[in-house]
Parts: sequence; structure tokens; C-alpha cells
Amino acid sequence: MNLFLYVLTQVCITLVSVCGIYILTGLTGMFSLGSAAFMAIGAYVSGLLVLNTGMNMYLAFLLAIAFAVCVGYVIGFPVVRLRRDYISLVTLGFGESIAQLILLLSQYTGGAFGLIGIPRRVNVWIALIIAILVIILTALFKCSKYGRQCIAIKSDELAAKAMGINTSRVKMIAFLLSCAMTALAGCLSAFNIGYVGPTDFGWKKSADWVIMVFFGGVNSLTGSIFGGAFLTFLPQYMQALNKYRAVVYAVLVLFILNFKPKGVFGEWELTPKNMRRALMRFNRKQRKVKER
Amino acid sequence: MALLEIRHISKNFGGIKAIADFSLEAEAGQIHGIIGPNGAGKTTIFNTISGVYQADSGSVVLSGEDITRLPQYKITRLGIGRTFQNIRIFRGLTIEENVLCAFDPQSKYSVFGGLIPTPKRFKEEKRGRELARKYLEVVGMADKKDERPENLSYGNQRKVEIARALMCEPKVLLLDEPAAGLTPTEVMELTDLIKRISVEFGFAILLIEHRLDLVMSISDLIHVQNFGETIAVGTADEVQHNQAVIEAYLGAEQ
Repeated sequence: MNLFLYVLTQVCITLVSVCGIYILTGLTGMFSLGSAAFMAIGAYVSGLLVLNTGMNMYLAFLLAIAFAVCVGYVIGFPVVRLRRDYISLVTLGFGESIAQLILLLSQYTGGAFGLIGIPRRVNVWIALIIAILVIILTALFKCSKYGRQCIAIKSDELAAKAMGINTSRVKMIAFLLSCAMTALAGCLSAFNIGYVGPTDFGWKKSADWVIMVFFGGVNSLTGSIFGGAFLTFLPQYMQALNKYRAVVYAVLVLFILNFKPKGVFGEWELTPKNMRRALMRFNRKQRKVKER
Repeated sequence: MALLEIRHISKNFGGIKAIADFSLEAEAGQIHGIIGPNGAGKTTIFNTISGVYQADSGSVVLSGEDITRLPQYKITRLGIGRTFQNIRIFRGLTIEENVLCAFDPQSKYSVFGGLIPTPKRFKEEKRGRELARKYLEVVGMADKKDERPENLSYGNQRKVEIARALMCEPKVLLLDEPAAGLTPTEVMELTDLIKRISVEFGFAILLIEHRLDLVMSISDLIHVQNFGETIAVGTADEVQHNQAVIEAYLGAEQ
């Protein structure tokens, strides 16, 4: 049971950042390999603020998110004007340089030892509530005009411009929202584990999130959340497989992407209307089975 | 002063003259046809008007305002709507959402409203959906609003594209080969639709089309392009009997 609660907390924290990646990659079609750097910024800034000034944790969260958004704004300027493939390169470079910067600024950040002694005030319930709130916000964003414009940009940027969409602005909004969410995930992580290390935020973490989004379905928020939850739960419960864990994980992901290239959920969303439809289909099948 | 004035625009790609000194004046309610063989620079004219490319020289003036060097989205917002030669409907959105996309840039709620449903967001979304319904009814696609664009026939996709362009509330509508790939019945429907919207909304329409019967029957004025240059301007009758036009289409007699 203790393991379950621990893993559930990890899942909630991952889901917060997966929502950010969903907005960036799933809705807008931008691939970032540097998102984990914003998680680092969130974790370090909130941790340092609380350790040095002893301020309220939630106020520190807000300041850390604001800081990450400011950094995101500077990085975002080139990013939103670049072609898709270059976005990954710029963000990759940015992410790795942030990791190095944390090591270099060791007098403030603790360098390779990391930041120790952060109060562990985020328990599973706080993480769960925040994750649910973030998911709701993301769902609302998806069905707003911004969500539609993001999908339009992903589908056809030239046509989007021809419909009067200011593509740079909409992409910037998506990018900054994504920065804010990953930074929030960083804050939660720091105050849950009580420790922040400089090696936790490499490009592999960003790539993991992108894999989760694709695994569940890049066009579906439901799918992305499923992907995030499933791929976080899975490795934790495969401890018995020990060193073959990574292999099983990789094979599973490859299978899904090969046989369901649109992910487990494709474009399906968990809305009341779709649920009713699925239920009706299920009932019809049951009836047919009975008639036989 | 005319609604849309194109003054001597030219555009080169490397050594190729895609447009050489093209001029056009369109009044509200007029339909202008632009015809010419493949590679005559017709689509480049549209791309230059709508801001995909910038003209090398010359200017485009929309109701008195110079729009030559504005970014594409601003040109659209000032009142130039367009459709594309190869249909460019947004995949991943329903028909209604596709049309709404053209309203969204004008919809007045902030990022805050994008995350949290404020009363303003409800109001604006409702206004958008009403407009979308209106324009989908104009093209006769209102009953298919929840379908996915990839499930529609080619002709219906064209109609959705036109509805989406109408949603931009344009003063000038650019239609790039709207009849390409349509069946004869669909072409007739389309012809009626173009005539109807030009009367109903009173905007100027520029039309690129290879089906000469369609262009001849609805255009007030026809511009014939060949290798980037305008070789004839006139009514359908005048153009049909123009020697240069006949040579461009059929080849000169040896």
C-alpha cells in the first residue's frame, strides 16, 4: 500500500508535466527535448526560495512558475518562429545548458550534491488535487478557441495563417503554458521527495514525456493521461523483472507505435457524449451475444 | 477608388518571372476570373495578395489601405479570405470547428478565458457557433457539422473551405481552382454557390479556374495570364476572340 501511494504521487507529478507536453506536442505539434529544464527551474527556484526565505510553499510555487514562464518567453522567441525539426534542437540545447548551469552555480544550487533538506510537504493528496486541476484546465484549454487554433497550426500552418491566426502568438501561448505546467511538476517533485538533483532533468526525461503522450494518443488528452499514468506505473510494478525492465518497456512502446501509430486512444476523448456512444455499442454487442 | 487595387505587382523566383507587372481593380460585387495555362503564375498572384509571398515591386491596396508588406494573418483580418488549390482543411477538427477557426482570431476572450470558462467565453463561443451555422447553411453543409473532414467527399470539402473563408468576413474572396476534381453536378452547384454569395455578401471575388465554361459564365472580367504576363483582359466574349489568347491555349499556327 505504501508503494502504491508513492507511485501514485509520482504518477500525479508526471501527469502535470504530461499535460504541458500534451499542449505543446499533442495540440500544437512542437517537439521539445528541453521541457525537463523547466521542471528543474521549478524545482530549484521553489526549493531555494523556501530554504532561504522560509516563505509559504504555494507562494514559492507561484514565483517559480512565473520565473519559468519568463525564461520560457525568452527561449520562446526563436522557438515559435522555427520550423518543427529545429524546435527540438533549440530546446535540447537549452535543456542541457540549464543542467550545466545548475552544476556551475554550485554555491547556490549545491552543485552535484543537489539541493538537500527541502521540507516534504507535498503528500499524495496535494499532488492528486493539483494533477486533477491541471488536467481540467488542459481539457478546458483544448476546447477553447486557443485549443482549436493550436490544432489548426499543427494540421496546416499556412492555412492557419490564411485564416487570420497569429501563429507566433498562439504557439507562444502554448509554449508558455507548457513551461508553467512542467515547472509546477518540478515544484511538486521537489517538495515531495525533499531533494533536487542536477541529473534528474536531462533530455531523457523530456523524451520520456513525449513517448508517454505518443503512447496514449497524441491527439487525445485522455490518451496522453493514460500513457503518462500507465508508463509511470508499469516500471514500478515490474521490479521483479529487474534488469529486463527497460527491455519490456521498450518492446511495449514499440509494439504500440507500430500497430497503433496513433496511440492507444487515437483521437478518442473521454466526454459524456463519447461515453454514451461507447455504452450503446457495448449494449448492442451484449444483446447480440444473448440472442445467439 | 476601387475596393481592391493591385498596382503593377511583380514577383521573381530566382530567374523565373512568376508575375510580371500584374494589375487589377475589383469593385464590390464583381467576379474576376484569372485563367491561363499551367505555370502562368496564377496561384502566385493569390499568394502575393494574401501575403504568403511579398511582391518584389508594386503594391496591393485594400479599401485605401496598403497591405503589400503586412504579415499574412493581418491581411486576412483586414478582409481577404481565400481557399486553396489543393484543399487545406484542418484535420483533427470537426467541420464546425474548422469553420470556427476562422472566427477565433476575432473572438474576444483572453488566455485566462481559454483556461477557465468565463461568461465572456460562453458568449463569444455561442456567437461563433451561430455564425458558423449561418455560413455552413449558406454552403449547404449545416447538417454535417459534427463530421470529420476526411470523411467528406471532395466537393463537400470544397464547400467547407468556402464556408471557412466566409467566416473570415472578407471584403475580397480569393478562390483558387474551386472546381478542380469535382464532378459535373458538383461544378454546377459550385457555380450557383459562387454567384449566390457574390450577390448576397457583395464582396469582390477573384477566381482562378481551368474550367473555362465556369469562368466564362460567371466572370464580369477575365484576365488571361501566360508566363507571368497578362496577355489579355476583357469580358468573356472579348477574351475568346483574342488572338494572343488563342495562341497561348492552342499554340500559334506554324
